[in-house]
Amino acid sequence: MINEILIIIGEVLIAIGAICDLIAAIGMNRFPNFFVRLHALTVGAIGGAFVPLIGVTLLSLGAEFLGVYRFFMAGASIVSAILLLFLAPVGSHAIARAAHRSKAAIVYPKVIDRLEEDRERGVIT
Amino acid sequence: MMLHYILMALSALLSISVVYLAIVERDLIKAAIFSAVQSALYAFLYYLLMAPDIFLTYIPVGVGLYTALILILIKKTERYEGE
Amino acid sequence: MGIEEQVMLFITTIVPIFIVSIILYLIRILKGPTVPDMVIAIDAISYDIAVFLAVLAIYFKSPILISCVIVFVLWAYALDVYVAKYLESKEIGE
Repeated sequence: MINEILIIIGEVLIAIGAICDLIAAIGMNRFPNFFVRLHALTVGAIGGAFVPLIGVTLLSLGAEFLGVYRFFMAGASIVSAILLLFLAPVGSHAIARAAHRSKAAIVYPKVIDRLEEDRERGVIT
Repeated sequence: MMLHYILMALSALLSISVVYLAIVERDLIKAAIFSAVQSALYAFLYYLLMAPDIFLTYIPVGVGLYTALILILIKKTERYEGE
Repeated sequence: MGIEEQVMLFITTIVPIFIVSIILYLIRILKGPTVPDMVIAIDAISYDIAVFLAVLAIYFKSPILISCVIVFVLWAYALDVYVAKYLESKEIGE
């Protein structure tokens, strides 16, 4: 009984992850510039990769047809999920900071940018 | 087992466009990033051929070390390819 | 219908969504006007393919294939840090 419950919860989480991936891919194509596309990257990293890896963990704990190696599978997938939860925001923040400082990204529909004005006036470095 | 063949054909076909752009591109950083995408797709192909040991060495060499080496070389020389 | 056939049917229906999203991310990599756009697109495609590998390991019934996921996740992060360091060193002047 507990195996069926684990498998159903895992399938629901994997389905949520697939839908989040599709939404992030559509957003990555339709958003206008780099700093708006970072929102799509966050949806793709947390909703599209962290949640289904937890789902794979639960599903492989419950699936007895995978043999005795399913515990190895559960451990590896939960370790990679936790690593991704730590490392994906760090990477996206690093690339956003570098793009804003070096003006490598084209910001086309721009209303105002206070950080750039402050940096030009020398208030902050 | 039809899914094996469909995924293999898809990954091989998608890598052709990336390889073409990596050759034609004038901006060398973009060419290095296209090469990283090509290694990711080839590693997916190795995964489908049931060779995870080659996968475990192809990703660090193709995505990590090769791209880092090319970026260091571009930093020492110049970014755009001349005529 | 047993639980095994149900899992296999579920994975067979979920695979086309992953393929469509991989192709959409690849369109952004091919179009991307600047370098940071391409880098965040390759980040997203790496996370997507990592989840896809984990799902396929269940479908192929060989759990030892799951060890590829950690490698994919970690080296996408390394590519981020390399390109960010290159762009910032151009800005500072070196």
